[in-house]
Amino acid sequence: MTENHENSGQQDDLEIQALLKDLPAPEADAGFYEQALARATLQGARRQRTRWVLAGFGGAVAAGLAVWLIGGMLLNGPQLPDTGASIPEVTMALEEPRTVNLVFSATEAMTHATLTLSLPAGVELAGFPGQSEITWETRLNAGRNLLPLKLIALTPAGGELLATLEHDDRNREFRLRVDVT
Amino acid sequence: MSRAEQNLAFERLVRPHFDRLYRLAWRLAGSKAEAEDLFQELLIKAYGKIDELAHIEQPGPWLSRVMHNLFIDEKRRFTRQRMHTVEEAQLGDDGVAGLAASGAAADDPVANQQQLERVQHLEKALAQLSDDHRIVVLLHDNEGYKLTEIQELTGVAVGTVKSRLHRARARLREILTADGTLS
Repeated sequence: MTENHENSGQQDDLEIQALLKDLPAPEADAGFYEQALARATLQGARRQRTRWVLAGFGGAVAAGLAVWLIGGMLLNGPQLPDTGASIPEVTMALEEPRTVNLVFSATEAMTHATLTLSLPAGVELAGFPGQSEITWETRLNAGRNLLPLKLIALTPAGGELLATLEHDDRNREFRLRVDVT
Repeated sequence: MSRAEQNLAFERLVRPHFDRLYRLAWRLAGSKAEAEDLFQELLIKAYGKIDELAHIEQPGPWLSRVMHNLFIDEKRRFTRQRMHTVEEAQLGDDGVAGLAASGAAADDPVANQQQLERVQHLEKALAQLSDDHRIVVLLHDNEGYKLTEIQELTGVAVGTVKSRLHRARARLREILTADGTLS
């Protein structure tokens, strides 16, 4: 490497450091700390009483707007029946993002699982504008696996969200009723 | 101690560190939603360890380490990086949004727009780094952590931290040169 090249690199490093230094510092939304404290003391106390541990990050999510879909899965058979429980519901405000947490309880680790998300009309997954069906490959660990989905309702229609998890010849469906106000 | 007294004691222990912890959560997680969840989970965990926390001389580093461990545990347990990488890269807001309304260039729309674009390019470039590299370069070059503080936080040797820092800057240089942000 030539000296000029080194000097150029050092100059770029300084420029990059200056850029990084000017990166805006993230600030919490007003009231977030108070909400987080309130949830912590409430849930912490509950945990102390019950020693029940919630899964993952999701003790609460942004602005407390979380819905949990929890399903046991992959026990036997190619198509597991629904659990029989009523379909959970979430009410969203128009054009206000809301996080829905999918929690998959897997009895064993699974590589190359496929998750397909079918969204109701007028509801989008943040970052995937205009896509009503999104499929990607994922890996699940044994135990609880969490996938937060930030949804945005662009029309008041609402409908049913369907998440289908497939692995080998087995699959499981999770449904969520989405109402928009 | 009553529940109310315990809650008050907990708040006195943790609140002084909120801003730094929140920024750390953001730098670790890379997105606002995950940062808030991580921050929340830290508080819940810390509340369960209030007796231990009360006897720690410097709660800040302890809380930071717990947060980092939560982040690592979560990474091991869940595979959702792809979703969030795409989401954050495409949305391109959160960390950038406040810039236009503040900052030294606020009176100069052209300069402000240029700076905003540079920041957006930088954030996209950061999103292309591995977590290990992104976290080190952000903590060191943006948050002002010393190498030894990063070592203490991550449990990685200083030499490795230095190496990651160097490689992260080099990769950023490549990306930002390719997209024209750096000449």
